[in-house]
Amino acid sequence: MIWQIVRKEILENVVSFRFFLALVLVVILFAAGSLVFLSQYRQQSSDYWDRTNENLSALRDCARSLYRVAFQKQRVWRQPRPLTLCAEGYERSLPNWFAFDIFTADLPDIRGGTNFTLSHFSSLDWVFIVSMILSFLALVFTYDSVSGEKEDGTLRQILASTTPRHEVLLGKYLGVMVTIGIPLCLGVLISLLIVVGSGVAFFSALDWLKIFLIVLLSVLYLSIFVLLGICVSSRTASPANSMVVLLLIWVVLAILIPSFGRIICDVSGTAPNPVELERRLAEISAEVWEKSERYGERAGYMSHNPDDPANNPPARGRLRTAEVEAKNHAREDHHNKMLAQAAVGRQLTCLSPTVVYRRASEAMVGTGIAHCVGLYRQIKTHQAALREYIRGRDAEDPGSLHLIFPDRGCAQSWTTISHRPVPFETVPKFQERALALGASLKLAIWDIGLLILFNLVFFAAAFVSFLHYDVR
Amino acid sequence: MIWKIASKDFLLNVMTFKFAVGTALCIILIGVFVPVLAQAYQERLKTYSANVAYNEGELHNVTVYKNVTPTIYRQPSVLAVFAEGCERQLGDSATIEYDQIPEISAAAANHYLSIFSVFDTALILKIVMSVLALLVAYDAISGEREHGTLKLVLSGTVARYQVLAGKLLAGLLVLVVPVAVAFLLGLIIVQSFPMVHLTASEWVRVGLMFLASLVFMATMYNMGLLFSCLARRSAVSLVLGLFLWIIFVLVVPNASVYLATHAVPLESEDKVNEQIAALRREIQREYTVALKETGESFQGGGSRNDMPGKGGFGRGYIRSCDETFMHNKLLEQRVTVPVDVKYAEKRWEIRYSRLRSLFEQKRLADNLARVSPVCLYENVMSVLAATDMASFRRFIDAVKTYRADVVEYVRMRTDNFAAASFFTPCTEEEMKQGDVNSDAPPLALDDLPRFRYEAGMAGVLRRVLPDLALLVLANLLFFGAAVAAFLRYDVR
Repeated sequence: MIWQIVRKEILENVVSFRFFLALVLVVILFAAGSLVFLSQYRQQSSDYWDRTNENLSALRDCARSLYRVAFQKQRVWRQPRPLTLCAEGYERSLPNWFAFDIFTADLPDIRGGTNFTLSHFSSLDWVFIVSMILSFLALVFTYDSVSGEKEDGTLRQILASTTPRHEVLLGKYLGVMVTIGIPLCLGVLISLLIVVGSGVAFFSALDWLKIFLIVLLSVLYLSIFVLLGICVSSRTASPANSMVVLLLIWVVLAILIPSFGRIICDVSGTAPNPVELERRLAEISAEVWEKSERYGERAGYMSHNPDDPANNPPARGRLRTAEVEAKNHAREDHHNKMLAQAAVGRQLTCLSPTVVYRRASEAMVGTGIAHCVGLYRQIKTHQAALREYIRGRDAEDPGSLHLIFPDRGCAQSWTTISHRPVPFETVPKFQERALALGASLKLAIWDIGLLILFNLVFFAAAFVSFLHYDVR
Repeated sequence: MIWKIASKDFLLNVMTFKFAVGTALCIILIGVFVPVLAQAYQERLKTYSANVAYNEGELHNVTVYKNVTPTIYRQPSVLAVFAEGCERQLGDSATIEYDQIPEISAAAANHYLSIFSVFDTALILKIVMSVLALLVAYDAISGEREHGTLKLVLSGTVARYQVLAGKLLAGLLVLVVPVAVAFLLGLIIVQSFPMVHLTASEWVRVGLMFLASLVFMATMYNMGLLFSCLARRSAVSLVLGLFLWIIFVLVVPNASVYLATHAVPLESEDKVNEQIAALRREIQREYTVALKETGESFQGGGSRNDMPGKGGFGRGYIRSCDETFMHNKLLEQRVTVPVDVKYAEKRWEIRYSRLRSLFEQKRLADNLARVSPVCLYENVMSVLAATDMASFRRFIDAVKTYRADVVEYVRMRTDNFAAASFFTPCTEEEMKQGDVNSDAPPLALDDLPRFRYEAGMAGVLRRVLPDLALLVLANLLFFGAAVAAFLRYDVR
């Protein structure tokens, strides 16, 4: 019996006017999103390879002398990922430029190609279409699923037979899920055809798996709204009232609650101020230099003549290392505060399935804030590896003082780091690695759990409401 | 007759579930979030006052003219609580420098917060209230037809257009209630904060915002009315209305910006950097030419005594030096500073070419978005709140004028940047004395012009008019089409 109800629901929905409108809207949006993605990805990829090669050739130049490799400010750009087709995660407004040498890593920054005068907008990626448009359409399909049938008189006819109520409910649910699934799958298919057909973006096997998981996640998300629609529909007597309630609930969940995140960030009180950071860094410098004698005699003195007896390389080394380490610590602190501020905003808006879904899909495909943070960590690890390499190579040179500290003038004049050339092939080069599937799933696991929880809660609510529904 | 229909419809709509829920939601949202927004404004105002006081204090610490580099801050707009616009997005300060002309920049804020969208009162109005307007309007005609009352009304001597006019009037009256309550509540909450004061021009702006909100509600109501006159069943008119609503609210604002970023290419930053590097080389050549013209040359040696971090704005200064160093430094100053000031304009032009391409993109995005009444309304609100791009540009223009004044002032006081007081307070006797370590007295800068800026009403009306006119036009179009559809409507 349940399959007959499902079939009836599907057929009834598919021939309706609203399904036609929904299909047209969704397909157009998917197609438009993919086309714009293609042109942007093409541009971003070519920019990325140009800049990375520039960085590598600058490093190759420096390989003529080991100390220059140590002090070379390498510039790493975030690699554009093809899966930003599915979930861009606002990457265009997030830091994409990282500079580091073996002693310090600058704070991540945005460089090139962004227009700060534009107002905040979402790109037409899959997550936007599913989280906003398709969830809205889910409500449009379910608002009259129970109350409309009651008004038409068909609900009491179905229930007059031996069909148990839970079967009717499940049949409705499955029917609407298939109905919503049709524009979703069609849209996804068209989007993939456009992107794969153009040959601009290449998806690996792992990427295909992630795409499949994103579609599953979207189905899980849409099911929340379908159940919500059925629940509200079976608590009101007329479809008009259920539409009102559903619309307002959708507005609050999908639009208002995610926007609260910004306010929450502001009042959470941990606002890191870049001007303050600059002042703090200047203070640290002044403090360290004022007490320079603490690090040894004449630590603050430096003459470019290496034979000057007044020079005290170890003391200067301690001074400079202390200064740079304190500054690095201040920067790390500042960066962590910035991340914490953004994280708080997201955490407290998890009342909305939209926020949870967005975060889960970003974690799954490895874009968004998690991407930037992961990249920053990878850079730090690489920095440590490069420092070890330099230490190792420097130890082989008897002519160097083996004092590795952040003072380029000293390294040049006093040979605190070896000046010998090194073969470029042996220098560790930074390579961005994408997260493995296991790690992505681990990041997303809480959010997936939350989505399942939302589903269970709304299913229970719909079930209980429908069991008590007066069908006359 | 119009009035009778209007009052009947008004009473019917006011006593419905949807009106009650919509108004209640609006009030709750305003009541909960306006205090938070007002608190955030108060924090920004405190920071602004502290910064302005710091600058004024530093001006009293300046010991040499090269350190007269105050930072000018833009006062946060209180009406940003109603419509945030670009308030948090753009930098609100600009530093006066000799070799740079200040220009609009991005706010130096936490980049990671750009994943969140803007929240202000206008968001509540444009989303919740427009949904309410649609819900009130969608069954105005088709609902009456289904209930059978439409044919009863029209069986009398009522003209068809009178019915529609009555419905329009009723809809407006119904929607005035929640909008007025929202504005009143918002204003009361904002005024209750101690640091908040609304000036007369700000009250006028709030009044205009209220009127603009009413025009926007009317547009959404007329849209619902049009669909009601096109469909025979309420369900169909609701679905049509909702589709168009979601296109106006979500699709158009996002897609227009997204497409604009694709359609208008930005000037490449690398090209700008190359031009700046070329300009720097040109400036170096100018230095050499200017040096030759003086006929003098640098002497070897020279010693100096620095005071880092002091002397105003943390820039440090040279407390004392010997004659050789004085001679070299004066020569360098005579040669380089006038050239730097002259080339500031050229440097600005190079950077502005990139900024111009950013503005082009924004203009295209704005024009594409004008299809949606929601975007028109947002534009009007941000212009009235003085948080739109144009008000930031006016502020920066005022800063540019002020910079010219400051540069002129210093030029006069230092004899076209040739006097020693530009870089050191060291006198003749102190030069002979040798190392001096005492702090120098600050300069008397009381006659330095101070920055004054008022975000006046001038130009606001001119900027608001196009979008407001488009909204009124949309109103007329929707209502005209509704009348045309209703004239042929089958009421049976």
